[in-house]
Amino acid sequence: MRIERAALHAELPVLSDMETPALCELLAGLGFPVDAVEGFEGTTVLEVDVTPNRGDAMSHRGLARDLSAKLLADLSPVPFLPVTELHEGLRPIILESEACPCYASAILELGSRQETPTEVQAFLRAMGSSPKNLAAVDASNELLHRYGHPTHAFDEERLQGAIRVRKARKGESFLGLDGVTRTLSGDDLVIADDSGAIALAGVIGGEATKVTEGTRRVLLESAWFDPKGVRLAARRHGIFTDASHRFGRGADPAMARIARDLLLRRLEAWAGARVLGAWCVGKMPAEAPPIAFPKDLLQRIAGEPLRVAVASEWLQHLGCRVQGEPGVLHVTPPSWRHDLTSPEDLAEEVLRIRGYDKIPSALPPLEGSPLPLADGYRRARSLGLRMAHLGFHQTVTFGFVSPEEDAASSESPAEGRTLGNPLGIEFSVMRASLLGSLRKAAESNLKHGARQVRLFEIAPVYRTAPSGPLEIPSLGVVWGGQLGGEDPYTPTRPVGAADLRGIALDLGLRPEHCIFRVLGEDLFGLECPLDALPWGGAQVIPSYRPFSRFPAVHRDLSLLVAVDHPYRGLADAMAARVQELGAPLQDLRCVDVFRPKGPPPGKVAWLFRFSFQHPGETLTHGDVDRWMNAALDTARAQGAELRG
Amino acid sequence: METLNDTLQAGLAAMTDAPLRAKLLRMLEAQGEFEVQLAACGSIDECQRLKGRFLGRTESLAAEAMTAMKAIPAEHKRSLGGEINRIKAAWEEALRARQISLETRQKSQASSSTAWDPDLPPPTPARGSLNPLVRLMDRLVEVFRPLGFHVEEGPEVETEEHNFDGLNIPEDHPARGSTDTFHFSKHPGLVLRTHTSPVQVRTLKRVAPHLEALGGIRFLAPGRVYRKDEIDPTHSPMFHQVEGLLVGHGIGMHHLKGTLGHAMKGLFGPGAEVRFRPSYFPFVEPGCEMDVRCPLCGGGGCRVCKGSGWVEILGAGLVHPNVLRHAGIDPDVWSGFAFGMGIERIAMMVSQTPDLRLFFENDQRFLRAMGGVD
Repeated sequence: MRIERAALHAELPVLSDMETPALCELLAGLGFPVDAVEGFEGTTVLEVDVTPNRGDAMSHRGLARDLSAKLLADLSPVPFLPVTELHEGLRPIILESEACPCYASAILELGSRQETPTEVQAFLRAMGSSPKNLAAVDASNELLHRYGHPTHAFDEERLQGAIRVRKARKGESFLGLDGVTRTLSGDDLVIADDSGAIALAGVIGGEATKVTEGTRRVLLESAWFDPKGVRLAARRHGIFTDASHRFGRGADPAMARIARDLLLRRLEAWAGARVLGAWCVGKMPAEAPPIAFPKDLLQRIAGEPLRVAVASEWLQHLGCRVQGEPGVLHVTPPSWRHDLTSPEDLAEEVLRIRGYDKIPSALPPLEGSPLPLADGYRRARSLGLRMAHLGFHQTVTFGFVSPEEDAASSESPAEGRTLGNPLGIEFSVMRASLLGSLRKAAESNLKHGARQVRLFEIAPVYRTAPSGPLEIPSLGVVWGGQLGGEDPYTPTRPVGAADLRGIALDLGLRPEHCIFRVLGEDLFGLECPLDALPWGGAQVIPSYRPFSRFPAVHRDLSLLVAVDHPYRGLADAMAARVQELGAPLQDLRCVDVFRPKGPPPGKVAWLFRFSFQHPGETLTHGDVDRWMNAALDTARAQGAELRG
Repeated sequence: METLNDTLQAGLAAMTDAPLRAKLLRMLEAQGEFEVQLAACGSIDECQRLKGRFLGRTESLAAEAMTAMKAIPAEHKRSLGGEINRIKAAWEEALRARQISLETRQKSQASSSTAWDPDLPPPTPARGSLNPLVRLMDRLVEVFRPLGFHVEEGPEVETEEHNFDGLNIPEDHPARGSTDTFHFSKHPGLVLRTHTSPVQVRTLKRVAPHLEALGGIRFLAPGRVYRKDEIDPTHSPMFHQVEGLLVGHGIGMHHLKGTLGHAMKGLFGPGAEVRFRPSYFPFVEPGCEMDVRCPLCGGGGCRVCKGSGWVEILGAGLVHPNVLRHAGIDPDVWSGFAFGMGIERIAMMVSQTPDLRLFFENDQRFLRAMGGVD
């Protein structure tokens, strides 16, 4: 909200001596931080942030009220001359909805010349609004920024019959001042005449009855509308105006008549207007009952034995009526403070005006034992560290992807995971796999010249389920590009699928629990749910398992097998066979693969290394030879031959 | 003998002197053995010894075979002799090649050991990094841990009840609309959580029956949240928050100030200065925002703090009685405070990263420089 310093001083003269930075500090301390200060046509304009609960503060008068309470300084009186109520033979105004309990109006005949004073024009420009040089329009705008109460003027000669404030008829159409024709809902509150809706109450006026240069008679509106109805109507139709912001956050019903009088007096002065009548319909909304504000609650929130009398004073400075009895205050907030509904609100007001800097500071005592960190958190954290130590960089990518990308990396139907209002089609499906996002990140790195890319992400993936997308915390890893070649000792080679399988093995992942994908040339991906990773849980050190102190024996066996022979089947069969014979086999793995030159064609040589170690004795060559021969026999049974 | 061709076999069969025939056969059949032993030679010395055994002037296989030549019948001399010579030539050639390769290797080893410069770049293990945003969230957990806070987590796909209703956010609040919050087309009651505050609602509901036994509750909820913001230098539709909540007996604003003041010293150093300003969030009352003395200029005024000397760090307040009530907790008995902070905002501020988008580009150069492994 824009605030002009001079206009603020007019409401609270004590501010004229204050430096701008001090004023900004003061406003921030009251909950109105100043986002920017700018010079504008010789005046200073502050951009003040007002929280949505404080509709009453959305004007110069409103901010001045809080500042006056804080500074214990007097506000200037609102300069208006009350108008004598007169309503005879004039157009009737009928209130048909509780959403508009009171409506102040007047009918004036405008003079031949109308001119908005130059200082008011300058004020309106400082407010970011352009003066129209139509007295009724400019005065209404000026009053809104100065006093916060929205008013409206209709061209009286264009009105037909009685004015009714009523609910719109479903399907009724309305052409607004913004030139848009809207179809109204039965929930909308409208100002209507015999021709239909002429204004959307508290939101926007109508094109058909707007004031123009040719207008000779105006009907003024200064009413109070139910905040919730205005908020909903503004949202329903997507019209957010200065009026809807203020009525939607709660205007001051007591201002309805005063604002009408102020507007009327301005028209008399600026346009030589003659008052034909001025009258109010309905009555002020009932005042809310007083709020009981116990001393205990005040002192608990304040963190110190603040005296009730002190609280009472601060509240009265804010315009509250306060009655006391031992241990509790009964507080009636002023008509403009719709946000004060609970004792906590009142406690905040006391602390706010007194200054949050006055609140003491203390650590809350521990009342119970702290709980352990959640397993899921610890697990993700230790996995992240592990991956970082393995040389991978942790990424953060968006949880939503394009439907194409989703389909490319998952078979789960996207329907239940699709957003109804995505930012764009490329961000519309909650991803079923991390690999699509990681592939994009990896490709971007490679495109920008990275020799090697090693990325990982720990984030949920989503599965379609009847009750909604199901989140599965997962690990995704990509590895690609060229390995080595960055020092005189390490040869260069492309990253291979086996490298990522090594990572999976190192993490203790079982192959059936993870997905391996070729994501591009020399680019590979791995994905698994976090609960597939082994997790020791609470036990810091695993249970003791004895290990052998006797020498280990390693034996190599070079076998010629068909190139498509399954490795796992052969290795498992040999291991099972030697173990059957009682061999203390510790490890069996292929340590080399090569294709011998020349015949036999279609064969490949696997060099297996067997490691034996007995827990309680030294192994003899005789035993080891026997096991190796048995392994060889097993291999031969699968069609392998000993390589000579 | 069966590996030899017919001509050679016929020649051998025609020999009458059995011991000499055996010597000849030994050489003819030794080719495989020679290859294996040659491959096993690791040095030039070993090659020389191998040459002695197979091709030496006396007692070698070749020498013995030569002594047998005289016993070959004349008509077979040509074929058997030719074969012996062919084998000898092949062995000599193989030995020569092996020696050359061993020599080359020896030389290169010698040169590299004498000319080794310790300043040559050594092979280094690959260095990875934790994401800077994750590190910052972890640091916050560390900072709050000694005060008895643990970690609670909640889903990113949330119910409107947890994301809004349970937090005293009215049904007509603008944040609930489709312009601010992502909704699911097939699941009308679900949203992508717009803050980590729904973890408050979930946790409070869960612990409500045991709150007395637990002695209240205090936790942090770090996580990812979503808002319908276009991507620009200061906005992202997905970002991170850390929520904090403490519920106990007699909790007031002084406890909020004490706890957050302590935590900011843990995060920004012992000299960190904070200030609290009134603010408004539907789920707290009183509400506040906390600023820290600008870590960049120290309060003198700069671009980061827009000249004010202070930068906003978080929103907080005392838990609104309606939030406690919604979770089944009596606000006359229990009270608490809550706070929530935007991680990207703090990360940008402490690192002076000029553009939020850098945190989501995942360029390894950025990650390596901004991340770490602690």
